[in-house]
Amino acid sequence: MTRLHRVLAFVAATLGSAAAFNDANPGYISAPALADQIMRGDSTLRVFDLRSLAEYRELHIPTATHATLEELSRTPFTGSETVVLYHLRSFDAGAAAVRARPRFRLKGPRRVYLLREGLYEWIARVREPRLAADASDAERAEFERASLFSRFFGGVARTNVARSEVSTGYWTTGVQLPAAASSTTESNARQAVLQVRRRGC
Amino acid sequence: MKRYSDPYLAGVGIGLVLLTAYALAGRGLGASGAFSSVLAGTFDDWVVLELAGVAAGGLVSARLSGRLRRAIERGPQLTASGRMFAAIGGGAVMGFGAKLARGCTSGQALTGGALLAAGSWIFIATCFAAGYAAAPVVRRLWR
Amino acid sequence: MMPLSETGALDPRGVLLTAPLIGFGFGWFLERGGLGDARKLTGQFYLNDLTVFKVLFSALVTAMLGAFWLDRIGLLDLDLVYLPETWVLPQAIGGALFGVGFVIGGLCPGTSCVAAAAGRLDGLGVIGGMLLGVASFDAVREWIRPFYESTSLGAVTFSDLAGISRGAGVAIVTGIALAGFAIASRIERSRS
Repeated sequence: MTRLHRVLAFVAATLGSAAAFNDANPGYISAPALADQIMRGDSTLRVFDLRSLAEYRELHIPTATHATLEELSRTPFTGSETVVLYHLRSFDAGAAAVRARPRFRLKGPRRVYLLREGLYEWIARVREPRLAADASDAERAEFERASLFSRFFGGVARTNVARSEVSTGYWTTGVQLPAAASSTTESNARQAVLQVRRRGC
Repeated sequence: MKRYSDPYLAGVGIGLVLLTAYALAGRGLGASGAFSSVLAGTFDDWVVLELAGVAAGGLVSARLSGRLRRAIERGPQLTASGRMFAAIGGGAVMGFGAKLARGCTSGQALTGGALLAAGSWIFIATCFAAGYAAAPVVRRLWR
Repeated sequence: MMPLSETGALDPRGVLLTAPLIGFGFGWFLERGGLGDARKLTGQFYLNDLTVFKVLFSALVTAMLGAFWLDRIGLLDLDLVYLPETWVLPQAIGGALFGVGFVIGGLCPGTSCVAAAAGRLDGLGVIGGMLLGVASFDAVREWIRPFYESTSLGAVTFSDLAGISRGAGVAIVTGIALAGFAIASRIERSRS
């Protein structure tokens, strides 16, 4: 290893490890945690829906307001707020908008979170939770908590469903949006995004 | 014929070129995509023009280093025609695989890898694993 | 603010013009590093020439750190840079196929152009093979469409999936690369 190699390795190691401590990315919040904060009436909480206005009007998380990323970057935050952003589903072409950090760099809210699995997660774990017939104790415990939320937010909790109807993990399937066709909502989600053009490699 | 440059330095050079692509064109490098475009008759595609540049850069560098020569690089046990068959066959398998994966070492491993894309890292893992698994089987081509 | 293509400083024609220039740099360094030679490339898989790993990962780390920090200091908007989408199974299988094809063919799509430009006829062979491979894919595209479009996660990073920050992902990749370089040194020392 020559001297130059050592220098390069050192620079890489420094920049690499510094990266871990120096990220302006928002963290993630789970739907139940968000529900908890809304229920407790946290006054510093600001929830923003990043989908289209039409989708927002159909259904949105209670207390959320609609915003585009451009509007958000122009919003004057005082620095004490906790901001939560959500989209239809995180792992989607629309994920670019959800992952995209609004320009909160200089003066912005104290904490920014993304609802990782978006509205689907809100529906699956807060508004319309389902308990499988063969649920484990841990799942029952979570369902108990979720039914409280569900009652509070005006949804319906259901027990004794088939395992296949309980959504888990990242591929949040089997979750029906109470309103219009999910395919149009998803293509709308795709459009409500920054200009990340597709290109082949 | 001059010696090859240090691989780490060549790597840093490529990394800076890739970074320039991100900064100017909002995208990274590619290669396999050009083959699809050429087959479709589209020549004003970014990747096609890029690959033309790759050839030019390779040509000039080889010329300046005295490495420009007509040859068929192959293992000591292989004939020239054997090598050509292997090149075409290997190329065909790569072409198919690259279409499935939406890219190759340039577009997925390098470009996507540097951007932390999940699928690109999956590609890196399976590509290297499969290469190591297949190498003993095709040893006669290279050793 | 970069990327210039997305912030209006470069119009589509200008963007196209950058392609051959950037390609030239890519081809130049590939040739300099010896990646236009199939025997050198395949040496990686017989563990006697680890150039492929060294070049690939030092390039990856350079671009990754450069992009992360340019974005962090506000000069580059990484969200406007095209992020390749993820299709778990097709990319896993496609990657494996690609790896197999690579040890047989000895050159990847990019390096085959470098090799061909330097006079290596096997480079032309790989190029021809690639065209065949791509054409055969197109021929069966409709049949395998369900598989080809399965397990899509969209444009996500592994840091998104793991629930960690991008910076943490950058640190992990840097660590993996540096460890890999150390291991490569060790392997080379033990073989010489």
